[in-house]
Amino acid sequence: MQIPKQTAEIFETLSKGQFICSNSSSDTTRRLYDLIDEYYDDLYEYFQGINFVLERGDEYFYFSRAESKVDMERKIEAAFKWIDILDFLKTFDNSFGSGFRFTPADIQVKLNIDAELKTKLDGLKKHGGGKERYDEIIEKVLDLLAKDNFIEIENIISNTYKVLASFDYLEKLVMAINIPEEVKNEIPE
Amino acid sequence: MNTFSSIKELLSTLKREHELLTEMFEKRKSLSYKYDFALELVDFDEERIQYLINHSVIRQNGTYLEIDDQFLQFFEMVLEVNEEINISYINENIQNVKQNILYYLQENSENRKYNYLRAVKAAFRKIGLITLRNVVDLKRNVENTFKNEPNYKVKKAKLENLDRKRIDINSLIDQTERLISEEEQTFFRSALDEELKQIVTDTRLQLNDCRHNLIEIQKQVIEYLNQIKYQSGIIEKIRQIKYLKDQFEIRSKTNLIEAFAKNNAVIFEPNPSYQFKLSLNYLQTDDVAYESIKKVSRRVKQGVRFDLPIAENISDEYLETRIEEEIQVNLEEVKNGFVASGKHLFEFVMGYDFAKEIPFDERVTIYCQLASQYEAVFNVTEKFNAQREIEYAVVYPR
Repeated sequence: MQIPKQTAEIFETLSKGQFICSNSSSDTTRRLYDLIDEYYDDLYEYFQGINFVLERGDEYFYFSRAESKVDMERKIEAAFKWIDILDFLKTFDNSFGSGFRFTPADIQVKLNIDAELKTKLDGLKKHGGGKERYDEIIEKVLDLLAKDNFIEIENIISNTYKVLASFDYLEKLVMAINIPEEVKNEIPE
Repeated sequence: MNTFSSIKELLSTLKREHELLTEMFEKRKSLSYKYDFALELVDFDEERIQYLINHSVIRQNGTYLEIDDQFLQFFEMVLEVNEEINISYINENIQNVKQNILYYLQENSENRKYNYLRAVKAAFRKIGLITLRNVVDLKRNVENTFKNEPNYKVKKAKLENLDRKRIDINSLIDQTERLISEEEQTFFRSALDEELKQIVTDTRLQLNDCRHNLIEIQKQVIEYLNQIKYQSGIIEKIRQIKYLKDQFEIRSKTNLIEAFAKNNAVIFEPNPSYQFKLSLNYLQTDDVAYESIKKVSRRVKQGVRFDLPIAENISDEYLETRIEEEIQVNLEEVKNGFVASGKHLFEFVMGYDFAKEIPFDERVTIYCQLASQYEAVFNVTEKFNAQREIEYAVVYPR
């Protein structure tokens, strides 16, 4: 078994529940991605020895466990938070997904002309850490996403964010929830 | 309305107004080219614009100007930037070929036959070119639509339309192929013309090329449509999930619990913090560690604070209540007794029945206390008695 010398770095990132994406703007992360890609089988085996499962997504890697270490409530709480945020972002722009670029100002501009978006942002207040102003709530929500490696700041000067490949994970998560056909019919258009 | 009388006039007009036309052509998508802007470009000569309008090169629409469709199409086609994919041209040319072949076969005059043959050749050349251009346009349009159309529903409809165009082009290619290789065999055998053969071969090669491209386009369209379907599927799904969540029904009506029970991603876990003990070996041998220890030690010394001595607990014994009885001599009562007795004071005190046994010298003290305290109510006489080596004054009540 041959593992790259950056394995510690890989472990540090992934064990915090973060992602390593191929479209990160940081050279280091992109290099780590390439390395994992190259040594995938070896690393998989290596991390399995310490009870982590190296998972391969569409252009990103993350860790999972063979058996759950967190209780259901915590998971569901996190999921609810993401559903709210996803719903908000997709309302902001239908094509919000991997590779999408935006600035918090774009969202604010859209707020003024989209009442639905505004209502949804109001609903996000509970994840906004008690903030009242829209720009602060947006900032807080983006911070949350950035902390979990779903988006990252690409340009500090223009405050441009880029959506990373890991965003696909959130979408997959929602897609994994199955709504029975008869329940679907109850949901209004 | 005037028409151009010669190609020379047309070309010279276009040449003269090339600045305006170029500008308008570049802005053809915005559909709002103002009359005033145009005026500036023709040196404020309204007649020049009027001339163009009269010859229907441009049209006026309120305060806006636009290039006439005929010219616009011509420019777009020649410059290969047209967005419309027009299949009718190909179809027309195929009909043209068929007709001309028919005329050719029925004509006897060599001269006229040659003319028909020329028409056929021109038509074939056109078919090849137009088809190829259409395919290129189609490909570009598919990509543009996918990348630039913001509305998912429109995007889908547009892509489906483009896909239909692809099918049409494909069928026209087939038709042309059939025309060459099956339907008009007689013509191609009888018209022994090297150039025709060359052109037909070229056309077939071009069509073949087109067909390959179309297969690629088909793949592309299918992929794009799938992506759109996936994307709009996600949006729809998120909307539904959000609705159920807001109605607090998501747990009971979906397999949420089950789906998440299977998902053990580390992202759900709180950030780990590792609190390891320091390596003793490292602390003892490493210079950096030594420096750190010294630093910490300095900091600890600076902050030294002596503990203030604290008194010990008060023993419970001290807190217990104890009763001590002492019998006090009530001088007032003794005096009252003395006043009523009729004895002299010393005799009375010696003989008084106190609550406890009182020795002689204490009785003497009581005598002295009484004598000094109640001096005012006693009559201290000049007479002295003595008892047990004590000489005392005889005191009576007054």
